[in-house]
Amino acid sequence: MTKYAMFGKLVIHALLRRRSRILVALLAVATGATILSGLITIYYDVPRQMGREFRSYGANLLFIPAGSNQMLLADDLARAGGLLPRDKVIGIAPYLYERVKVNEQPLMAAGTIFKEVRNVSPYWHIRGQWPEKADGIVVGAEVAELLKLELGQKITLAVAHASTEKTLTVEGIVRTGGQEENFVFTDLALLQQLLNKEGQLSIAQASIMATEDELTALSRNVAQNVAGVSPRLVKRVTQSEGQVLGKLQALVYLVTIIILLLTLICAATTMMAVVTERRKEIGLKKALGAENSGIIREFLGEGLVLGGLGGAIGTVLGFFFAQAVSLNVFGRAISFQPFIALVAFVVSIGVSGLACLIPVKIAIDVEPAIVLRGE
Amino acid sequence: MMSLLALRDISKIYGSVKALQNINLTVQRGEWLSIMGPSGSGKTTLMNIIGCMDKASGGTAILDGVDISTLNSQGLTAIRRDKIGLVFQQFHLIPYLTALENVMVAQYYHSMPDEQEAMAALERVGLKERAKHLPSQLSGGEQQRVCIARALINYPMLILADEPTGNLDEANESIVLGLFQQLHREGHTIITVTHDPEVAELTERCIILEHGRIADQRKSRPISGAGAGA
Amino acid sequence: MFWRMLVGALVRQRRRMLMVALTIALGTSLSTAMLNVMLDVGDKVNRELKAYGANITVIPKSASVLKDLYGIEAGPGAAGQYLAEADLGKIKTIFWAHNIVTFAPFLENKTVLGQGGREVTLVGTWFDHSLELPTGEVAETGVRPLKTWWQVEGGWVKDDDPRGAMVGSLLASSAGLRTGDDFEITPPGGAGKERLTIRGIVSSGGSEDEQIFVPLATAQKLAGLPGKVGRIEVSAITTPENDLARRAAQNPKSLSLKDWETWYCTAYVSAIAYQIEEAVAGSRAKPIRQVAESEGVILQKTQLLMLLITVLSLIGSALGISNLLIAGVMERSREIGLLKALGATDGAILWQNLAEAVAAGIAGGGAGYFSGLGFAQVIGRSVFGSAVAVNAMVIPLVAVLVILVILAGSLPAVRMLLSLRPAEVLHGR
Repeated sequence: MTKYAMFGKLVIHALLRRRSRILVALLAVATGATILSGLITIYYDVPRQMGREFRSYGANLLFIPAGSNQMLLADDLARAGGLLPRDKVIGIAPYLYERVKVNEQPLMAAGTIFKEVRNVSPYWHIRGQWPEKADGIVVGAEVAELLKLELGQKITLAVAHASTEKTLTVEGIVRTGGQEENFVFTDLALLQQLLNKEGQLSIAQASIMATEDELTALSRNVAQNVAGVSPRLVKRVTQSEGQVLGKLQALVYLVTIIILLLTLICAATTMMAVVTERRKEIGLKKALGAENSGIIREFLGEGLVLGGLGGAIGTVLGFFFAQAVSLNVFGRAISFQPFIALVAFVVSIGVSGLACLIPVKIAIDVEPAIVLRGE
Repeated sequence: MMSLLALRDISKIYGSVKALQNINLTVQRGEWLSIMGPSGSGKTTLMNIIGCMDKASGGTAILDGVDISTLNSQGLTAIRRDKIGLVFQQFHLIPYLTALENVMVAQYYHSMPDEQEAMAALERVGLKERAKHLPSQLSGGEQQRVCIARALINYPMLILADEPTGNLDEANESIVLGLFQQLHREGHTIITVTHDPEVAELTERCIILEHGRIADQRKSRPISGAGAGA
Repeated sequence: MFWRMLVGALVRQRRRMLMVALTIALGTSLSTAMLNVMLDVGDKVNRELKAYGANITVIPKSASVLKDLYGIEAGPGAAGQYLAEADLGKIKTIFWAHNIVTFAPFLENKTVLGQGGREVTLVGTWFDHSLELPTGEVAETGVRPLKTWWQVEGGWVKDDDPRGAMVGSLLASSAGLRTGDDFEITPPGGAGKERLTIRGIVSSGGSEDEQIFVPLATAQKLAGLPGKVGRIEVSAITTPENDLARRAAQNPKSLSLKDWETWYCTAYVSAIAYQIEEAVAGSRAKPIRQVAESEGVILQKTQLLMLLITVLSLIGSALGISNLLIAGVMERSREIGLLKALGATDGAILWQNLAEAVAAGIAGGGAGYFSGLGFAQVIGRSVFGSAVAVNAMVIPLVAVLVILVILAGSLPAVRMLLSLRPAEVLHGR
C-alpha cells in the first residue's frame, strides 16, 4: 500500500465511520453553500427581473417624426422596430391623433393598436374590457363623464372633410390620472381609413427592457439608419429607473454580503467544534510520531472532501431556492448559471478547509503528553 | 557498550510544583525496568520525558547517544517516531479505524504502510481474526493488544508502557503481561510504569518514586518461565 | 449543585461557551439586521420611487375638461377655474401630511416668443421654495425636489428673481437661445411685453423640453391672475392598493363606516387624494396611475423579495445555531456518560445542557441584537443614505426564534441522551 492510499484511507474513514458528527458538519457546510449559491443567483438575477417590473412605468422610448415631417410612416416605424433587440422589447404602441366629433361633440381621438397599448402601458385602469374588434372603442374617464357615456353604449364618430359617420361601441373606460382621460381611443386602421391617412402615424411609444445607456445606443442606431424617425428617451422613466434599480441592487448586494459573512462564520464555528473534539486524536498521532504538517494535511483533506460534498449539495439546493424566490416574487423562472455554481462550490471548499485548519493549528502545538494524560 | 538511556539530574517543574527532582537513571539495552510509586509521585511525568512527549526543566537525557533534552519539538517527534513504541493505559486507538488500520497508522507516520507486516504484528498478539474490527467492537484486552502491536510495528529501541494492565481484568492482564515477557526475551528494552507489585515482580529492576525523587531501587528476581502473573 | 455545575461549565469551559455564544450572536445579529431592514425596506424604497415625480395631480374642479378638451382659456376671475395659491400650505396639514414628500404648483399660459414668433407655453412654478406652514414647520417644495430627472444646463431660477427663466432644450435649440440670453415674450392679449433672462436650459425628455419656466409670481402677473395656480403636482408616499382601495377609488361613499375609516386612515393614494380635495378648496385630486400603480408593483416585489431572503437567512442562522449545539453535545458525550453513570436522570442532564445554552444564548443574543442593529444601519446608510428605523417588534421575534432554535437544537441531544450507555462512553468504545 502506498502512502497516498493510506492518506486516502485515513481521510475517508474519518468521514465514513464518524457518521453523526460528519452529518452535522456536512449540514453546516451545505447550509452555508445553499445560502451562498442561492443569494448570488438572486443577486445576479434581480436587476434583470426588477428591470422587467419597472416596465410597468410604461414607455421609455418615443419615436417622433424626424425633422419637419408632420407624420411618422408606419413603414419607417417597422424598420426602426426591426433594429431593436427582439427579446427586450415589451411593446411598441403607435398613435395617430386627430380631432374628431363624437356624438357631435369635438374631441381628440387617438387611433392605436390596443394589444400593444396593453403591453406598453400596463398601468391603464380599464373599466369594461379592451376591444377585440375594430368597432370597439375605449374612452377616457373625463370624456365619459362629459358625454355621459356608459359601457356598451353606441356612439357616432365623424371626422372633418368626410361625409361618412361610423357607429362604434364603448367597450372600455380608461382611468390613468393623466392626459389619456381626455381622449377617445379607436382602432388604428379604422381611424387611418376614415382620415385617408393609411400608413401614417403621429407618434409611437416603445417599452424596452434596457438601461439608459443601452437605450441611448439603441436610439442613436435607429436615428442613423431610419431617416424618417427621431427617437427620444423618456428621461423621467429611464433616469429614475436607473437610480431606483441601482439602489435596489445595492440593497441586495449588501444584504448578500452580510448574510454570507455571518453564515460562513456560522458554518466555520460548527466545523471548528467538530474538529476541536478531536484534540486527543491529534495528540495520539503526534505521539505516534506524526509530523505537524502530516496531521494538518489529513484534517485539510477531510475539510476539503466535506466542503466539496456540502458545497455540491448546497449549490443545487441554493439554485432551487433562487428558483422558488424568482417564481414567487417575479413569476418567472431563472436559468442555471454554471459560473455562480462553480464560485459557490469553490468558496464552500475554501471555507470548510479553513475552518478545519484553525482548530487543528491551535491543537497541534499542544504537547501530546498533556492531551494523552488520563482523564 | 553504551547504555540505551542515561538521565542526569532531570527535574520538571510545573509552576511551583516540583514534579521531578534530580532524577539519575541508566537503562541498559535489553533491560526490563519498572517504575513504581503512589499517585502524584511523578511516574507519568518521567515517562513522558523519556518518551519524548515532554521536555525536562533541567538536566540532560541521552537516548541512544542523542541528547534529547536539547531537541526542539520537531526533533523530538522524529526520535519518538523512530525509536520509541508507546502503550497507554487508555489504549488511545483512533475510533474510526480498524485494528489493522490503527497499526498501519504508525507505519504510515514512520515510513510506509505495509498491510502484510501490520497483519503479522496483529497475528503475533493473537488478533489476526479481529483485524477488521473497529476499536468499539473489541474488548479492553484486545484493544490493549492492538496497542502493543502498534508499538512494535516500527521495531522501536525502547518500549514505554504506561499502566498497560491498569484497565484490564485478570485474564487479559496475564495475556498482555505474557506478551511483554516474550518481548523481553527477544531482547527488547522495556520500561513499564505500574503501581501493581505483581507486575513489578516480573521485571529485572524496579525503581520507586516518591515526591518526584527516586526513593528506592531494587533488583527484581528475573523470571524466565511463561504464565507468570497468574 | 445544578448552579454550581452550570457556572463551572460556563466559566471553566470558556472557550466552548464563547463559541456557542458567538454563533448565537451571529445568528441573532443576522436575524435582527434582516428583520429590521425588511420591515423598513418598503418605506425606504417608496422614498426612492419618488424619483418618478408626482403621483397625484390637483386641478380645479370645473376647469379640467373645458381647458384640456376645447383649449378654452377661461377669462380672469372665472370662479372655480383656478386654485388659490394661499391654499397650497394646507396640503401639508392633511391626515397623511408626513407622507407628502413634496409638491409644486403650476400656472400655464400661451404666449408668443419674440417679435411675432411662434406660440409657446409659459409655465409659472416654484423652483426651490421653502414654504412656511401654519404649524411653523418648513416644507421644501418646488420642481427641483419634485422632478429629479431634469437635467439643467446653467443654473436654476431663484423664486424671487422676476426676470429669470428656464427654457426647454428643444425650444432653446430651435429658437437659438443660450444660457444668459435675453428674450422677449408677448402674452396673447398683446399688452405687457416682458423681457426675461435665461438662467438655465432644461432637458427632461418630455413636453417640458418645449416650454418656458418662470417663477410663479411672474406668470401670475403676465396672466393677470394674482394668487392663482392652475395645477398642483404632489408626490406622496403611499401604500400599495388593495381591494378596499380600489372600491374606495370608485366611490368612497359606497363603503361601510368601518371600511371608510380603515381606508381614510391608510396611506392609499386614493385616500390621500381625497384628503387633499378636502383641504384645497374647489379642487379635484387625481392619482397618476402611471406612477401610483407602478410604485405598488415594485414595492410589493421588493418587499416579497426581502421577505424571502430574510426567511432564508433565518433558516440559515437557525441551522447554524442548532448545529453547533448538537456538535457541542457530541463533544461532551463522555461527560454526559459520566453524569449518567453517577446517577443523573436524562431530564437533569437535559436541563443542564439547556440552561447552558440559554445562558450562552442570552449573552450572545444580546450582543447579536446590537451588532445586528449596526448591520441594519450600515445597509440603510450606504444604500439609502438614511438610518433604518429600529423596530421594537424585532426583539420578541428574535427572542422567540433563538429560544425555538435552542430547543430544536437540543432535540437531537435528547435522542443521543436516551441512547447513550454510560459504560460504553466511559470505556471509549
